Amino acid sequence: MNRLPKTLLLITLLAGLLPAQDLATVLKKGQAVYAATCTGYCHGESGAAGSAPRLSGRGFDQAYITGVVTRGVPGTSMPAFNSGISAADRAAVIAYVASLNGIVSPSLGAAVSSTPATAKLTGEAARGRALFYDATRSFGRCSTCHEVDGVGIPVAAPIAKIPADVSALRALATPNVLNVTVAGESMPALILSRKAQSVVFYDLTVAPPVLRTVAASDIRIGEASPWRHASAIASYKDSELSPILVWFQASRAAKN
Amino acid sequence: MTRWLLLILIATTAQAQTPLDGATRADWPHNGGQQSAWRYSALDQVNTSNVRGLAPAWLFQTGDYADNLQATPIVVDGVMYLISARAQVFALNAATGDVIWQYKYGEPRSGTPGTHADFILNRGVAVGGGKVIFGTKDSYLVALDQKTGREAWKVAVDDPRQCGCNLGAAPLIAGDKVIIGGNGGEIAHRGYLTAFHISNGRLAWRWYVIPGPGEKGNETWKGDSWKFGGGAPWMTGSFDADLNTVYWGTGNAASDFYDGDRSGDASKYPNLYTASIVALDADTGKLKWHYQEVPDDLWDFDSAYEVILMDRVVKGQPRRILAHMNKSGLTTVLDRVTGEHLGVFNVPEMSTWIAGVTEDGKLIGRKDPKPGTVVDVCPSSVGAKSSNAMAYSPQTGYLYIPTVETCNAISSTDLPPEEGKRYMNGGHPLKVAPGHSDASHIDAWDPVTGKRIWTVPYKYLLLSSMLATAGNLVFTGDPDGYFFALDARTGEKLWKFQTGAGNRGAAISYSVNGRQYVAETTGWQQGITGGFASNLFPDQSWRNGSTLVVFALPEATK
Repeated sequence: MNRLPKTLLLITLLAGLLPAQDLATVLKKGQAVYAATCTGYCHGESGAAGSAPRLSGRGFDQAYITGVVTRGVPGTSMPAFNSGISAADRAAVIAYVASLNGIVSPSLGAAVSSTPATAKLTGEAARGRALFYDATRSFGRCSTCHEVDGVGIPVAAPIAKIPADVSALRALATPNVLNVTVAGESMPALILSRKAQSVVFYDLTVAPPVLRTVAASDIRIGEASPWRHASAIASYKDSELSPILVWFQASRAAKN
Repeated sequence: MTRWLLLILIATTAQAQTPLDGATRADWPHNGGQQSAWRYSALDQVNTSNVRGLAPAWLFQTGDYADNLQATPIVVDGVMYLISARAQVFALNAATGDVIWQYKYGEPRSGTPGTHADFILNRGVAVGGGKVIFGTKDSYLVALDQKTGREAWKVAVDDPRQCGCNLGAAPLIAGDKVIIGGNGGEIAHRGYLTAFHISNGRLAWRWYVIPGPGEKGNETWKGDSWKFGGGAPWMTGSFDADLNTVYWGTGNAASDFYDGDRSGDASKYPNLYTASIVALDADTGKLKWHYQEVPDDLWDFDSAYEVILMDRVVKGQPRRILAHMNKSGLTTVLDRVTGEHLGVFNVPEMSTWIAGVTEDGKLIGRKDPKPGTVVDVCPSSVGAKSSNAMAYSPQTGYLYIPTVETCNAISSTDLPPEEGKRYMNGGHPLKVAPGHSDASHIDAWDPVTGKRIWTVPYKYLLLSSMLATAGNLVFTGDPDGYFFALDARTGEKLWKFQTGAGNRGAAISYSVNGRQYVAETTGWQQGITGGFASNLFPDQSWRNGSTLVVFALPEATK
């Protein structure tokens, strides 16, 4: 693969903002998306075979390419690019692969339609989002137990009520966390199901929570646990929790 | 006081004089046979004199067909534990193939397309502490009750939609803990090993391959590059219970083919502890020592492969050593107590990525890929050996290595990282090494002398693990579908059997009621290396599948 000029990268980044583009621009963008997403361990450069099949000169029509890109190929390593990629990028890469199959005027679809400006996070909200998912905190990050916008582990129920401020967040009560005893050991538990035969619960003793399935006869379910949410967010300073709340408020406002 | 010291000294000396026994017998309890990764069975009922009579005893079809069966089976007390590519787990009667229980992991949460979350494979379960434990495509570690197959605990090791990583390797049992590495070497991700208590699934420790700010080694990374510098240890490590030490090979630095963000100078910024062998305290995960095989890796030369622990006489002294091959084909021998470098030898015939290596393991004359150029190097990023494991026989003293001779033309880019997204920075089209009509060979090497004893060529890419046995046999399979046996002393092919689909799995040997079995997991896989192999030889059509084939000598002749 030839080195992609920085200007091309810039075009890629700006492309979503431009209301109309010509074919050459879309194809260049499609090539950049292809290079960043499809090559490496899978397809080769310019549609050559890599570990995945060759894509150039196969006689594919655009409808077929669109179908494979959006739905994937079940049972293989070819994923469905229906999430994790913008509609404009997807349309551009489809047009690019079409061009590798001799289609001179591929349909550009979403690659040229003016995409609605998605609410771009700035300042405190952006910082709050980054802190929420902060991988450098290992299991001390919020997303160890909370899924927001499809990312994070959904241990806790979706966040319904946003705490008013940092002290409210620190003081958050968790009446649904109960004290359970398994084989003589007590632990804080978030119970998911209680059936005649077994109890399924998250053991919150240490992060990450452990989803346990225990025979009903082997578990004793007690009263409210002394476990507190404050212990789970101990790695965050007040000055870090504050932007996380700003982010919650901003994304709630954007959704309403 | 003095007397105590003396007693301790005697105890230590006595320990050192009992050589490590990494052989399996009736059971095949761990991924590498024992935790020392020999893939060697002390059973000799099947041997060079009667192997021609070896015949199928039973087959097991997982029904999970679209892809491979790559996992190494585990056998404990006559029960085999096997996992398919999509994490269906089976407990089988190891003498008959009858199903005792089965478990099916649910549909995994989807990951980010274009990352490791796309790959459908599972390299095996670990069995210990009454649990059968495995990693999943969506980065959960799951423990089943060994008797019933019911889920006991399950824990999210990471979120694939954020990290672009997942779990494909077999976990390693180390005492009362289970340790798992992860995939993610081609992603903007910071690799790690995570240990959990087998009994309850609680976190025991996590060790990041790349040290964070304030930790020793962080200074070997430019700026913030440590955050996404790769190193994911994506295969299974080894464990020495005497030393209470876990040994693991770490992955390549990211991005794979461009180091402008993270290094640019291998001596100043070697990018610790990527492409290294590390020794960790099994209880705490604390680093005891490390040996980096490829400082500032620029060729996707992971060190993630098996670490083979053995006790051998080196230069007249009995030593506790380990042997380890990096993807480059350089194979390093270290003292496993201290990490002292004892030797290095180069396995592939075609090596052009460096001009050479000094006796103490320093790389000379590196051919570094750079943006704007195309750098043609051998071996390719597929490796001088892929992730299929070698075997070690204490009977011959040799390592049995499935070696691959390919090269690639690396063209790099200099795009910045984005967490959890592809971060290879380059293309690397593959070819068979020039002048080689055969793309592979199986070699026997003496790790102490660094000498190749024999070599046997094979036309295509060998991607199945090796098994050595006390019957002086070496078993492996090929993409054409043949599972075969070589004489461990000479390499002479003694027996073969057409299994009906490409072999990309791992053979094991075990016995039930005195009868020795040899089992091979079969079924080709187009994913990654299998796809490269298929595309190198487009006139071949190696068949996918997911079948375990179990061989034994006919009852009357055993």
